[in-house]
Amino acid sequence: MISAVDIRNAVTVVLAAVGALFFLIGTIGLVRLPDFYARTHAATKCDTVGAGSLLLALAVFNGVDVSTLKIIALAGLVLLSSPTIGHALARAAHRTGVAPWQARKGRTS
Amino acid sequence: MKKAFVAALLILTAMPLLIGVAALPPHGDPDTPVHTHISARYLEEGREEAGADNIVTGVLLNYRGLDTAGEVTVIFTALMAGLAVLISHKKQPEGDAAYDAAEAAAEDAPVRAPVSPVVSFVVRLLAPFIALFAVYVIVNGHVTPGGGFQGGAILGALFIALTIVLGRERTRTLMPRLAQPWMQGAALLTFVGVGIVGGALTGYFLGFPADASLHLARKLMMLVLEAGIGLGGAAVFATLFLQMEAE
Repeated sequence: MISAVDIRNAVTVVLAAVGALFFLIGTIGLVRLPDFYARTHAATKCDTVGAGSLLLALAVFNGVDVSTLKIIALAGLVLLSSPTIGHALARAAHRTGVAPWQARKGRTS
Repeated sequence: MKKAFVAALLILTAMPLLIGVAALPPHGDPDTPVHTHISARYLEEGREEAGADNIVTGVLLNYRGLDTAGEVTVIFTALMAGLAVLISHKKQPEGDAAYDAAEAAAEDAPVRAPVSPVVSFVVRLLAPFIALFAVYVIVNGHVTPGGGFQGGAILGALFIALTIVLGRERTRTLMPRLAQPWMQGAALLTFVGVGIVGGALTGYFLGFPADASLHLARKLMMLVLEAGIGLGGAAVFATLFLQMEAE
């Protein structure tokens, strides 16, 4: 017998797992990727999808509540601000002449 | 001569501090007032006595109000020192050297890119919400974590974001030239003002009336202090940013 609480917990776990996974991928990307643009691309995934899903998981887990409203507002703020910051960083780097990484011929890595 | 004077000043300042630190009881001594009764008293009676639901704020503004006044003085002094360094750094050599220096600076100066429309839109969209949040953090500081220092930082950051997006000409109206010194010193001035009011009520500088019937007066004094700290903090951030941006 599956109760409403079970479904809620399952959704919470899935969303939190997705969030944690994106944080992991983003962090690995931040360390491993070759240049500023690629690293920015990886880092902004953490804040948008990662923090977004974690906050959604908390909202689902919390149920209908004033705190849930605050969490959703927070998620909206993160979704709005993080891509903007990524865009501003990449744009500033491009305008000041940071050259993107290119694979050299004859080398595979 | 100047170096000797600076050294003498440093030693004169350091001596009382070192003597004061040496006179402190050993760290973790169980017989100090903190461990015998003060913490317990703050936690048990702080809410009613200090007039703040948030114990941290009660300790910060009421019990340890003088310390916080000192802290605010330090921030104000840091602003003065920062401005002094920035302004003296800007001093140009005279004559032909000045011309050469100006020319070199013009060549070195990065070309300022126009503000991205995306950034501009998002900052303008979020600005009222950030302003509201800053005021909420300042005003609600005696109930929830937060207060003047944190809210002031948010307000200052908002000012900086708006200056980047809208240009300093538009945001300058937020800090009129005549009001600037008052805003920069707002935190310190508020502490002096509230301190004198508290002195009139209790006989001690920065004293808070302890009577239960004056609960509202205590709350009001805290609110004024928080607002002063917030405004002063924001003005400090804004001033330093404007001065650095002018370089």
